[in-house]
Amino acid sequence: MHDDDIAVTMNVNGERRRARVEARLTLADFLREECALTGTHLGCEHGVCGACTVLLDGDAVRSCLVFAVQAEGARVTTVEGLGGPDGALSPVQDALRAEHGLQCGFCTPGFVVSITALLAENPNPNDQEVREALSGNICRCTGYQGIVKAVQRAVSS
Amino acid sequence: MSGLHSAAGRFVGQSVLRREDARLLTGHGSYVDDIVLPGMLHVAFVRSDIARGRITRVDVEAARALDGVHAVLTSDDLNPRVESVQMQPTMLASMPGAPLRPLANGDVRFVGEPIVLVVADSRYIAEDACDLVEVDIEQLPAVVDFERAADDTHNLVHAELGSNVAQDMAPPVHPDLERVLQDAPNVVTATFHQQRQTNVPMEPRGVIAAYEPSDGALQVWMSTQNPHEVRLACARVAGVPEQLVRVIGRDVGGGFGQKFFTGREELTVVLAARVLGRALKWIEDRRENLIASNHARLDRGTATFAVENDGALLGVFLDHLEDCGAFPVGGTGATGGFVGILFPGPYRVPLAGFHTRAVWTNTCGRAAYRGPWMFETVAREQMMDVAARAVGIDPLDFRRRNVVQAGELPYTSAFGMTLDTVTPAETLEQAAAIIGYDEFRVEQRRAFETDGRLSGIGIGLYVEPTSMGMMDPLSTDAALVRVQPTGKVSVHLGTGSHGQSIETTMAQVVAEELGIDFDDVVVVQGDTEPTPFGRGTGGSGTAVIAGGACRAASAEVRAKALDIAAHLMEASPADLELADGRIAVRGTPSRFIAWAEVARAAHLDSAKLPPGMQSGLEATATFKAPPITWSNACHICTVEVERATGIVRVLRYVVSEDCGVMINPMVVEGQIAGGVVQGIGGALYEHLVYDSDGNPLTATFLDYLVPTATEVPVIEYGHVETPSATPGGHKGMGEGGAIGSPPCVFNAVADALALVGATVTRTPLGPTAVLGALASSYTPAP
Amino acid sequence: MKPATFRYHAPATLTDALTLLSEYGDDAKVLAGGQSLVPILAMRLSRFDHLVDVNRVDGLAGITRENGHLVVRAGTRQRALERDESVAAHVPLLARAAPLIAHFQIRNRGTVGGSLAHADPASELPAVALALGAEFDIASERGTRRADAATFFESLWTTTLEPDELLVGARFPVWSGRSGFGIREVARRHGDFAIAGAACALAADDDGRLARAAIALFGVASTPWRAADAEAALTGAIATDVDAMEVAAAAVRGLDPTDDVHASGAARLAIAQHVVSLALSDALAEVRDAR
Ligand SMILES: Cc1cc2nc3c(=O)[nH]c(=O)nc-3n(C[C@H](O)[C@H](O)[C@H](O)COP(=O)(O)OP(=O)(O)OC[C@H]3O[C@@H](n4cnc5c(N)ncnc54)[C@H](O)[C@@H]3O)c2cc1C
Ligand code: FES
Ligand code: FES
Repeated sequence: MHDDDIAVTMNVNGERRRARVEARLTLADFLREECALTGTHLGCEHGVCGACTVLLDGDAVRSCLVFAVQAEGARVTTVEGLGGPDGALSPVQDALRAEHGLQCGFCTPGFVVSITALLAENPNPNDQEVREALSGNICRCTGYQGIVKAVQRAVSS
Repeated sequence: MSGLHSAAGRFVGQSVLRREDARLLTGHGSYVDDIVLPGMLHVAFVRSDIARGRITRVDVEAARALDGVHAVLTSDDLNPRVESVQMQPTMLASMPGAPLRPLANGDVRFVGEPIVLVVADSRYIAEDACDLVEVDIEQLPAVVDFERAADDTHNLVHAELGSNVAQDMAPPVHPDLERVLQDAPNVVTATFHQQRQTNVPMEPRGVIAAYEPSDGALQVWMSTQNPHEVRLACARVAGVPEQLVRVIGRDVGGGFGQKFFTGREELTVVLAARVLGRALKWIEDRRENLIASNHARLDRGTATFAVENDGALLGVFLDHLEDCGAFPVGGTGATGGFVGILFPGPYRVPLAGFHTRAVWTNTCGRAAYRGPWMFETVAREQMMDVAARAVGIDPLDFRRRNVVQAGELPYTSAFGMTLDTVTPAETLEQAAAIIGYDEFRVEQRRAFETDGRLSGIGIGLYVEPTSMGMMDPLSTDAALVRVQPTGKVSVHLGTGSHGQSIETTMAQVVAEELGIDFDDVVVVQGDTEPTPFGRGTGGSGTAVIAGGACRAASAEVRAKALDIAAHLMEASPADLELADGRIAVRGTPSRFIAWAEVARAAHLDSAKLPPGMQSGLEATATFKAPPITWSNACHICTVEVERATGIVRVLRYVVSEDCGVMINPMVVEGQIAGGVVQGIGGALYEHLVYDSDGNPLTATFLDYLVPTATEVPVIEYGHVETPSATPGGHKGMGEGGAIGSPPCVFNAVADALALVGATVTRTPLGPTAVLGALASSYTPAP
Repeated sequence: MKPATFRYHAPATLTDALTLLSEYGDDAKVLAGGQSLVPILAMRLSRFDHLVDVNRVDGLAGITRENGHLVVRAGTRQRALERDESVAAHVPLLARAAPLIAHFQIRNRGTVGGSLAHADPASELPAVALALGAEFDIASERGTRRADAATFFESLWTTTLEPDELLVGARFPVWSGRSGFGIREVARRHGDFAIAGAACALAADDDGRLARAAIALFGVASTPWRAADAEAALTGAIATDVDAMEVAAAAVRGLDPTDDVHASGAARLAIAQHVVSLALSDALAEVRDAR
């Protein structure tokens, strides 16, 4: 704790979170360390891999490129906040499971959030739109086959 | 293909959805960075920014003085406690290797080499402290170009080894081979370069080490493919007796070989934790991962084929050179012996020879990457196309003439490797039929002649030696199958699943063997404490070896269960069968006893057991794999090359494969897809570049280009299921996708470029390479 | 990969922002979308004692029309360019450029002003601004000034912005009448910075004679680059007579792009020529169709 720590309050997955943090703490590290929401993963910390994607006031953003203090007053949704409270899977999560859209699972939270955001804005994307929307998330395991199919499945369900 | 498959069992052969998924999809996985221990401190490394040089000064005073910094360790603090050999993988400790060391000591040997280890309250502060460490290095000329390294006797990467040559293998060449390579009607030679790449697991490496001085116990969480090997290595390096070391790696975010052995940084952190008596966490960042974890694939090969006029291969020779970097993970890191021996592949090659050399360079060390010796397939399959073109035969036909046919099996290669239960000819035909090879050829011509469009088709055909039983301890796995009093079952494995779905597939195998429900079986793995010693997860070995152990242990459990049931039912064990959670008299299904009842008796009611039988219902069994279980596949893809930009698009991609009996076809296809896309990356995008001073130029994900969803085609699958001789009939397959794909894509691009007489010999085939080839080609009128 | 410490300021008004910038000068850096700045900080490629976060500055975001111009305030997210109907209607080139920038998650955060101020030579928006002849409104405690896109971009990641200055908005002229636009690029992967790209804007008189022509290339020099010779050749030509390939060849004459890990200079040049021909063809087709 430093003197110049800054108080920050935000709503994370429906819960109010307050903390005093260093200005340089990224939102990703805030979520992981202060909120113990470790579903948000860090795959690059420079904005390319998408593993850290969360919803900030409804928009999908890289949480590694936002400082926690910038989310003051914001509504943040992480992968933990997308399924049902009883552990039920969201339609996107369920589709990823049904289509084997994950293997090691490290990239998965980022894909879940990005796909959720995509479908909220465009409930009926065509193949090109799906692939372009997914292109901001890197997966090294699946070759994207199951992920692309999962989006199509989530669309038709 | 998905859904049911023909020869399916109740569980084995079914695309059962994965056990692992629910927690991973909801953000409840448990990767190493998710673990928080009380009082845990964070590590960052000061790394060399010079490829080769003498360290003249290390000043850590300012760093030590920084608030929140607990320790700043240099080589003096750590290196004297370990010898190089202790840091080598257990199985390779007796083999020649680079002089490994925890921290650079006296000199630096590649950019990224760790020099100082900082321990602080947070990673943020640890990095602040790194900035305050002053290191002076007197720069020396670096050995960067691996093609010139062997000849450099002045600048040595490892002065103590006396040479930059790490390995040189040249089995005697048969005089007949020498003759055909001179006198054959066609002697074709070409040299191929494969570029430096790296595994890029999405989760970089990471470790938490906690040493408790009061009881001498060392607990380690690590992102690893191989917990039991990590335990051995940590015990050696930290000097803690093995029984007091526990290694846990629950969820692992990919590895592809990078996490099979224990990395230098991980061991250094473990050692530091032992020295400091504190819990330490080190999470590698992406920059570190790209410059200092491990590199792979940097090979050059000159292939010479002697070919009869009818296309028959008379003899082949490969001259191979590979770059091991400075500190390869695992012995020399060299794979050349395998590359040479496997070079003839699935073809009828009467005479074969090779020469392979590996060299040290002042670059990041080499390590296994999905199919570590896959350059044999790269060089051979690319050469098949070159040779086919040279003798005027279509590449598909050329392969047809030379591929080993079913009737020739078992077929023993010139190097004495015996192929059995493989189907290269069948997968070649299946893949060609699925993609419509002949139709594509017609369309390719038409598109070229009418619009000047360049499209091409490429083939990658290979046999893959999997589940190798000739190399201990990779040969053997153990499984503990434990039946609880309620009849529920846990399967304990020494594996380190990192995407392979082991919690699902091995539960399928045991449920099938015990005739109980899939949901009643749980797999415990990724932890040395509750599991028997195992070989780890890699080398395409799980289905055959861990699967074999699961079957063996299940068989023992089943035998005991049948004995109990037979006793209770007054029947003969031989007349009983296990299915659907019941043990019933064969032919009289109404006479049965529930599995759970037997389990209850075994644990809680010894009076019901046959005379002399002890309580309990569990078994640990090991399974040693046969020397090699071959699997095989044929990849065929089509591409379009844009003449104006040199951009390559993969249009269609077909994999026809034979991995024997599939435990879970969905998982098989998923493994193939991941490997194929890594291979597309290798053929077209991924390239770790050093400048001539040994500075890495591709240290971010904006520069090291991993394919995304927009760069990959839909992958189409064909399956040929020829059971292997192993229990269950499985064959390994995890690596294959990444083996067949690079030459397949390369060949397709080369095929397209051949329309205008352009040639390529190096990957990646990005715009620079493709436009360069087009610019220096002649363009015949369509 | 964690940023070094800095003091964080989140002014709510333009005045406060300018006061902070004036006070800290070289030691301060404006933080907008953070999509370029934060990676630089995380990799510790540079560090600043003060970050002035302009995301909360009142009135710094938004898109309005103002006599013949579309004014895009600096804090406007790049994503808004894709969604805002007035952008598509009045400055279609901007609307078409936006989806070429990175990925939607980055555009959700990245700002128009940030892209212009960061001045990456491979960025789309600086080239669009250059092609259309945009002007930039710049403020500091010393006052306000208006800069021309033509002189604003000085060299790699460098503009005429002084440390105490804030880019407040960009004024994109609305090319009305019979006009056509095109923007094309080639990147290694979708969403990557372009190997080379070209933005083209054309305006014709009623006879189809090109009255104005602008071609700006990106990714090929240390700043976005205006193909003046090609523009001169186009001006006065009849749209239907233009040979796009020929103009494209003229457009890249004199360029000498450097090698990097993604493309050699020669490859970059060839690709630049190609994308000019495509962008120009798109624009020409639009001019022809806009009767
Ligand atoms: C993976 C990835 C891919 C990308 N691909 C592309 C691409 O293809 N094309 C592209 O154009 N961009 C790309 N970008 C960059 C992205 O568009 C950035 O958003 C943009 O360059 C900077 O905008 P920003 O608002 O994020 O600015 P910041 O990152 O906050 O700031 C960037 C710089 O501009 C200065 N600055 C910002 N606003 C102002 C202002 N109002 N006045 C004065 N100075 C200011 C800052 O001080 C800083 O120096 C990519 C980024 C990433 C992470
Ligand atoms: S960790 Fe944020 S984009 Fe990779
Ligand atoms: S599932 Fe492993 S990186 Fe995507």
